[in-house]
Amino acid sequence: MVLVKRIKPLPLGGILIPLLSIVIGILISTIILYVIVGASPIITLSCVVSSLISPEIVLTFLFLTILGVALLVAFSGSIWNIGAEGQLWLGTAAAAYVALFTTLPQAPIVAKIVMVLLAMVLGGAWAAVAGILRAYLNIDEVPVTLIMNYIAYYVINYLVRGPWLGKETWGYIRTDMIPDQVKFVLIPGSTTITYEVLILAVLTIALTYFMLKYTALGLRIRILGSNPDALKAAGVNVRALIITALAISGAIAGAMGAAQLAGYLHRISYPIESHTANYGYTAILVAWLSMLDIRAIPIAAYIVSALYQAGISMQIAGVSGASATYVFIGTVLLTFTVLRVFSEYTIKIVRR
Amino acid sequence: MTESKAYNSNFSLKINTPIVSVKNISKRFPGAVALDNVNFDILEGEVHALLGENGAGKSTLVKILYGIYSPDKGEIYVRGRRVRINSPKDAIKHGIVMVSQIPQIIDRLTVAENIILGLEKYGLTSRISEVRDFIKVKSKEVGIAVDPDIEVWKLSYTQKQLVEILRALLIGARILLLDEAITFLPLIEKRKFYKFIRNFVDEGGSVVLITHKIYEAMDIADRITVLRQGRVVGTVRRDEVSPDDVRKMMFAEKSAQITYERLPTSKPRDVVALEIRDLWVMGDYGVHAVKGVNLTVKAGEVVGIAGIAGNGQKELIQAVIGLRKVEKGNIMLYSEDVTNKGVAKIRVKGVGYIPDQPARFGVSLDNNIEENLAMLPAITRRIIKWGAVRELARKLINEFNILTPSSKAPVKLLSGGNIMKVLVSRELFVAKRLLVAYNPTRTLDEVTAIMVRKIIKEKAAKDGVGVLIASEDLDEIFQIADTIAVMNSGKIVGTFPGDKANRDEVERLMVM
Amino acid sequence: MRSIEVISYILTVAPAFMAYYLASLGQGFFEKSGVLNLAIDGVFVLGIAVGYAAGVYSGNPWVGLLAAMAAAVLFGMMLAYVTTKFPISHGAAGLSIMFLGYGLAGLIGVTARSTYNRLVASGIYPQYTLPTSPTARILMFVIPVLVGILFYLIETRTKLGAAIRAVGENPHAATALGVDVIKIRLIAALIGYSLIGAGSMGFLTWIATWSEGAGVNHGWIAYAISLAAGRHPILTIGTAGAFAALATYMFALQAAYNLSPEIAKMIPFIVAIGAMVAFMATPLRKKLAPPLSLGKRFFKEERTV
Ligand SMILES: Nc1ncnc2c1ncn2[C@@H]1O[C@H](COP(=O)(O)OP(=O)(O)OP(=O)(O)O)[C@@H](O)[C@H]1O
Ligand SMILES: [Mg+2]
Repeated sequence: MVLVKRIKPLPLGGILIPLLSIVIGILISTIILYVIVGASPIITLSCVVSSLISPEIVLTFLFLTILGVALLVAFSGSIWNIGAEGQLWLGTAAAAYVALFTTLPQAPIVAKIVMVLLAMVLGGAWAAVAGILRAYLNIDEVPVTLIMNYIAYYVINYLVRGPWLGKETWGYIRTDMIPDQVKFVLIPGSTTITYEVLILAVLTIALTYFMLKYTALGLRIRILGSNPDALKAAGVNVRALIITALAISGAIAGAMGAAQLAGYLHRISYPIESHTANYGYTAILVAWLSMLDIRAIPIAAYIVSALYQAGISMQIAGVSGASATYVFIGTVLLTFTVLRVFSEYTIKIVRR
Repeated sequence: MTESKAYNSNFSLKINTPIVSVKNISKRFPGAVALDNVNFDILEGEVHALLGENGAGKSTLVKILYGIYSPDKGEIYVRGRRVRINSPKDAIKHGIVMVSQIPQIIDRLTVAENIILGLEKYGLTSRISEVRDFIKVKSKEVGIAVDPDIEVWKLSYTQKQLVEILRALLIGARILLLDEAITFLPLIEKRKFYKFIRNFVDEGGSVVLITHKIYEAMDIADRITVLRQGRVVGTVRRDEVSPDDVRKMMFAEKSAQITYERLPTSKPRDVVALEIRDLWVMGDYGVHAVKGVNLTVKAGEVVGIAGIAGNGQKELIQAVIGLRKVEKGNIMLYSEDVTNKGVAKIRVKGVGYIPDQPARFGVSLDNNIEENLAMLPAITRRIIKWGAVRELARKLINEFNILTPSSKAPVKLLSGGNIMKVLVSRELFVAKRLLVAYNPTRTLDEVTAIMVRKIIKEKAAKDGVGVLIASEDLDEIFQIADTIAVMNSGKIVGTFPGDKANRDEVERLMVM
Repeated sequence: MRSIEVISYILTVAPAFMAYYLASLGQGFFEKSGVLNLAIDGVFVLGIAVGYAAGVYSGNPWVGLLAAMAAAVLFGMMLAYVTTKFPISHGAAGLSIMFLGYGLAGLIGVTARSTYNRLVASGIYPQYTLPTSPTARILMFVIPVLVGILFYLIETRTKLGAAIRAVGENPHAATALGVDVIKIRLIAALIGYSLIGAGSMGFLTWIATWSEGAGVNHGWIAYAISLAAGRHPILTIGTAGAFAALATYMFALQAAYNLSPEIAKMIPFIVAIGAMVAFMATPLRKKLAPPLSLGKRFFKEERTV
């Protein structure tokens, strides 16, 4: 069996392959859940199907969209930012600082803007560290961004246990609630979705689309992924480019961190490891599922948030823990990762 | 070109049985039919040249023989028996070994480690030391001296190619596939290789030689097969044909364009485009590669640097364009000091750059022509005006006759020659004041190479652009340069007006 | 008297050392073949759960060890296979296997725990961790170190080692040199991941009981340990020892030096980054730099102009 390039990409591969991966992945998950914990396939499948139309997934969907776009920026340049999780939590911390320890909340609009901006700066700077190491010392960004997630957790844990520990916490280790006036405004009829998050999601997609398509920066980031040497010879500062790509990626993740605080968390609780929804990691799947096409990011985010929800509803149905979510995500992503090869390649059988 | 000593043997005296037969092989890639029903025989004890224009399918054919590509259809016979070659490992079992232009050995492994990987008789648990003595003895036998324990990255390009050859012999090669393996070698080393190849076939081995130098093929080949657009044009015996016959087979009517006559000398303007003063530049291994070079290029003048590879030309060119740090000395662009200003600053002042290895340093293969234009800081600053870029792309495609499905097709679908045209046309467009080139035609076929030279020369003569071109190909230098500077050991050792330069004198200075 | 105390302090570190060292040794060995191993944390966690389950069901921790190794090897070879057979992202494949590992570990562990509780209720106490007598603890140092030396010799002296390094540096060139890339990577996965599996059993012995999420992040610690030592089997002894001691005496250290636990937990990760910087910014780069093709997609018929 050998793999050869298709003369033409598989027709409709962009739609067929993700769909097929989801179906196959879910079937494998159903079998796994049945074999190991005896979960009835009917319940599993109905949980998955009902999640697809559940309104619960909207918030996760929005967050994963924003983060998916964040990662897309770096991934387009073959910069594998695994650190959205840390970048987003630093954004949360930055926003919390503005909300809790400055006088800005007296002017709520200004405060909200500063919260998001500072979050972007911090998230961007955090990511830029990995960018600098990669650009100047050629250190692989994968381990660095990954490791920096943990460092981010511990830095924030330190702050929450120490200087930021709240006054009215009822014995919990956590910060105070941020002032009401800087909380994002809920849209009518929802308990989680806010106007600001919606705006943020739309802005992120629109601006990033423009950046990647119509600016020299965006084009060069895309070329960075295929041939950095040519960029260098063309007179592009490749080091600055790598750092910028990571910084933009981190800044978007940071903005989403501010949104998570002002949108629904409203405070930071210790320890982060057990309170995080791991959106930063999950978003990797979103960016990956999109095949690095920004228009597909929302679709991918929708699929992943539905799988997330499916795991949660299985838990409620008493079938199994968060493990189900992981199994769903793992199998769907692995299937997709392998199957997507066939949009450009095909298998040929050769005799030995 | 003037190489005349024949290395051909009394080939006709041997018993000529095909040791390898290729039957009806086809291979398609996205965007190209690389091979279309190809039949090809390699006889025992022959040097068989495989010629053809860029993209003809030469590399594809030998890669199929070596098990790197799998053919879409067709059969391979070794000594009359049908075989399946699914990997280089299989090929090696049949005595087929390939050596290509870029050494395929691993830098961070030692010579012995690189070699043992292909030796079937040593199992995975064998110790490396077991092979050391074997290498020492054998390398003496074939006259290639190497230290088996040296890590490959410490070797020069020539030494690496020698290791490749040694490896091929040690793993028992009977059929050696040389895919432009000697193209990059300095002349003296080339001659050694010719002798070596001759010995190898005299002892019953067979060689397939791919090259763009017709004379090289005429010198050492016994038979010649020509490919064009994936099809075999014909197989001829070397003594039946003239170089022009072969060129006609390769290029058909386009072969008339081939000429090695000097292009008309251009009239330099009275402005100094580039002035290099006492330039010192470090090489890759921590010693100076450029040692106090002084050089002037006038607007409208083509200055050619002749020299054997590895005498500092690459470093000099890279320093001029800003890709390498200048230790000492100055580079003046139209009287403006641009020393160590960096590529970006230098390039936007109207400086074009044609590197060797276009696919690596010139264009991005995954992107289309428009994107490959728009990526240049000299063309796009911040916001891309796609309309204007498309316009420019269409203009260049027409002017340079670039063969491409559209300006939106990824460059990787183009043949090597057309990729080079994309690069050259772009660089000539941005080279408003100076063009710097390093071996600009090294991987090109004759027709394309000559076309590129003509275009460069025209640009200098018509638009008054200064041109600095370093090339290891003397034919090229003599054809294009108004002024020839000879570089040896990091220094300029002689400068001659192009029309009066004596070839023997230049060669003497190169090897001095 | 004092020396006995010191020895007992050292011996306490044994299970953590065994867990971290074996896992990071396997991690480094596998990554030398050029496959970016982001699956490690998930598979490490899975190994713990499988080891626990097999121990509980069979009552024999050695069966647990074998089961943990087998499970780890299965997923490791899966990763090596898909990333080599298909030109796909190593990161995506690794992370999906990581998620799958987390998920399966939860399902298997929870099921095994209820079995365990049932057995205990009926008066049976199945043995599922490795023995921890002083002699056993000494062996927990000696055996891994011997394995490490053996690995060093394999990597540097044998054809297998050369082949693994070759496919990690440049799989295309390695193919041309006559190496079967997929076979070598599968062997690297087989060997590397059996160590990772053994490491997870060591971890179970250290933490003594399974609970949901057991081992999460500790695979990453092994990853960091391996990186911090530049994937060098002998240097890894040092980094693993340091990390194991740090982890074992975290609380004591915090008390003694008034260190915040957050800072203490951060140290290994900062050390790992610092080590990477040290390798890449100094001449050590040549010796300890990551394999050139680590994480690069591999397609045999790629155009390599
Ligand atoms: N791996 C590949 N993927 C896609 N297309 C390829 C690949 N290899 C070759 N091609 C295409 O197949 C055709 C034949 O290429 P090949 O490399 O065999 O030409 P060649 O005769 O060796 O040319 P050159 O003289 O430029 O080396 C070209 O059009 C080329 O673009
Ligand atoms: Mg070729």
